[in-house]
Amino acid sequence: MQAVGTQRSRVWGARVLFLLPVSILFFFFFIYPFLFTIYTSFTSWRGIGSMKFNGLANYTKLLGDPTFRKALGNNVIWALSQGFIQVPLACLVAMILVRKPHFWRSLRTIYYLPNVISTVALAMVWVAIYNVEGPLNAILGALFGAEKRNWLGNPDTALFAVIFQTVIYIGYFMIILLASAMNIPRSLYEAAEIDGASTFQQELNITLPMLRGSLITTMTLAMAYGMRHFESTFLMTGGGPAYATTTMGIDLYLKMDALRYSEASTAGVFLILMGTVVITVLRKIFGSSDPMSEMAQ
Amino acid sequence: MLKKSRLIALLLMLCLVFPLIAQGQVENAPAKEIELRWASIWVGNDSKAPAVEALVAEYNAKNAGKIKVVVEPQPDYNAYEQKVRTSLAAGQAPADIFTIKFNPTTATFYQSNLLMDFAKVMDTPWKQSFDAGSIEQSTVDGMLKSLPMETAILPIWYNMDAFKKAGISELPTTIEGMFAAFDKLKAAGITPASQMTGDTNAWTSMIWFSHFAVSLGGTNVWDKSFTDPAFVEAAKLTKRMIVEYSTTDAVGLGAGGSGGHFLAGRTAVFSNGPWYAGRADLAATPFFNSIKIAGLPAAGSTKDFMISRLQANICAASSKDKAREAAIVDFLKFLTSAPSISKIAETSGAMFAIKTDYRPVKALQKQFYDVAAAAKTTAFDLEAALGAEVTLEFAQQLGALALGRISAEEFCALVDRKIER
Repeated sequence: MQAVGTQRSRVWGARVLFLLPVSILFFFFFIYPFLFTIYTSFTSWRGIGSMKFNGLANYTKLLGDPTFRKALGNNVIWALSQGFIQVPLACLVAMILVRKPHFWRSLRTIYYLPNVISTVALAMVWVAIYNVEGPLNAILGALFGAEKRNWLGNPDTALFAVIFQTVIYIGYFMIILLASAMNIPRSLYEAAEIDGASTFQQELNITLPMLRGSLITTMTLAMAYGMRHFESTFLMTGGGPAYATTTMGIDLYLKMDALRYSEASTAGVFLILMGTVVITVLRKIFGSSDPMSEMAQ
Repeated sequence: MLKKSRLIALLLMLCLVFPLIAQGQVENAPAKEIELRWASIWVGNDSKAPAVEALVAEYNAKNAGKIKVVVEPQPDYNAYEQKVRTSLAAGQAPADIFTIKFNPTTATFYQSNLLMDFAKVMDTPWKQSFDAGSIEQSTVDGMLKSLPMETAILPIWYNMDAFKKAGISELPTTIEGMFAAFDKLKAAGITPASQMTGDTNAWTSMIWFSHFAVSLGGTNVWDKSFTDPAFVEAAKLTKRMIVEYSTTDAVGLGAGGSGGHFLAGRTAVFSNGPWYAGRADLAATPFFNSIKIAGLPAAGSTKDFMISRLQANICAASSKDKAREAAIVDFLKFLTSAPSISKIAETSGAMFAIKTDYRPVKALQKQFYDVAAAAKTTAFDLEAALGAEVTLEFAQQLGALALGRISAEEFCALVDRKIER
């Protein structure tokens, strides 16, 4: 008994030892900054000097700020676009590639290639594409006689333009879904074929249900990315024109730029809360069951 | 076998530890030499980089064994500004020596105990070597926690080759004459002016707006409410510039694009500071020798002024170590001495808040000095007067103004909302 007890304590000791380094890092690089952000959101602080507690004043100010409300709305649009356009597109391509058409490996690489190029480089390319004298206007003019548009300079088109150039890069989610789709047992499809199911019916009744777990994961990731979107929009439009493309991330950054650290922290808290809400709602709607995992058990 | 492996492990340990001990001995040797870190933006492609590098080398050679200045290159200015802000917020000076753009936003840095107060360490001769107005502008509540270094005037640049092509031989002297000249340029197939609403400050258009506002409202226009008629009229004029006399991509365009149009000869009129004069790509343009620098024709009753700003102020980390503090002061005295400033000005075209006998010989740089000297008075631009946050709002709403989404009155009201008075 004593030997068993000693063995157990050794195992626990080893577990604690292995978890300790990452726990320390997690505390200092996530928990502490997270708590500090929440704390500063209840103060008045310009990054220099002392913090003065001011209760909910920052939250009231933020909710009354039309720019922040615009940013919040844009983030919801981003989340929905990435979750309900980008992921379904990725799923569609994965479902085609899993059937291994000609050159499927090359196509898989081509779809994934933009994900290895830096966001900065891609953003600069798209700025050139969307330029009034750029290739997009040239092509649309040549094909449809369309007049030239300032895609990124017009509040009516700027948000669509920046979302479009992100949503079409489906490689990351496609790879996840493709890997899951390749693990679906072929026997299910063979049985369905014998029963006379068409390809469409097989995809609808076999592939999609079996991909449920991966779809929930990719949608959660996509919507989380949408909620905290910053990079490409900041590079392409800076959140303009007239805040048409601003997001909570950009609003937070610009508040920091103006040394309004406590207001930036408040925006950060909102970001975290919104992200949590989105993920929780998603899980509630779609559940968390994964037929693939259940089959494997 | 076991003994052999233990022996090998011991030898390996010694190999690893020995360099550390040796390192320590090397570091111990020059302990008396004070090393000053300078987070410098004047590196790489900056026009001041070669002169600054030479001056640092000269200083280090003269003070070998006593003081050594080590430059930490900061080629990305936006990232550098972030570093300064973040470091100060974290309770740490970004370096022993660093620069800031002095404006109402960065004046907040004066509240930090991390910055050296030059008011306490400056002797009279050193103080008198600076332009008095710049020293006054850099003083907040009696504290002088940054020294004015680089100044700038922000005139209008005219490509006279393009003007001649349109049949215009003289610069317009009235605002109506300016618009008439612009119409002639358009008729000749030349876009009159570079404008932009992008980036965080709509730089080119912000300068034009500043010229209009000061001309209409006086040099103290920035003390007035932004809904003042002077600002409303300035907004209307700026909108007209963007809509009628600029490139089709002006809305949303950044400074690179705005400058690029001028450099490529696609626009005839531009606005920027003296640092632009030292650019190699500008010197390579076919119209380089025909560039004329001048003020904007007066839109209002205020004339003969120039928009100017403190472009870079130099800060130092405060230190309880008197020797270190003395080293910083010694180096900054050297850097801001008339001979040093003359060397930097000569090669870069930049202008400084330190008095020197230097007068440029290169034609374009000479024009800046002549225009600055001819101005009877100066006024800040919008960003220098009202800070980063107000300027950001200006830039964001300028696009909406240019597209006719908001009126000039609404534009001014939105910007006024951001001003803390």
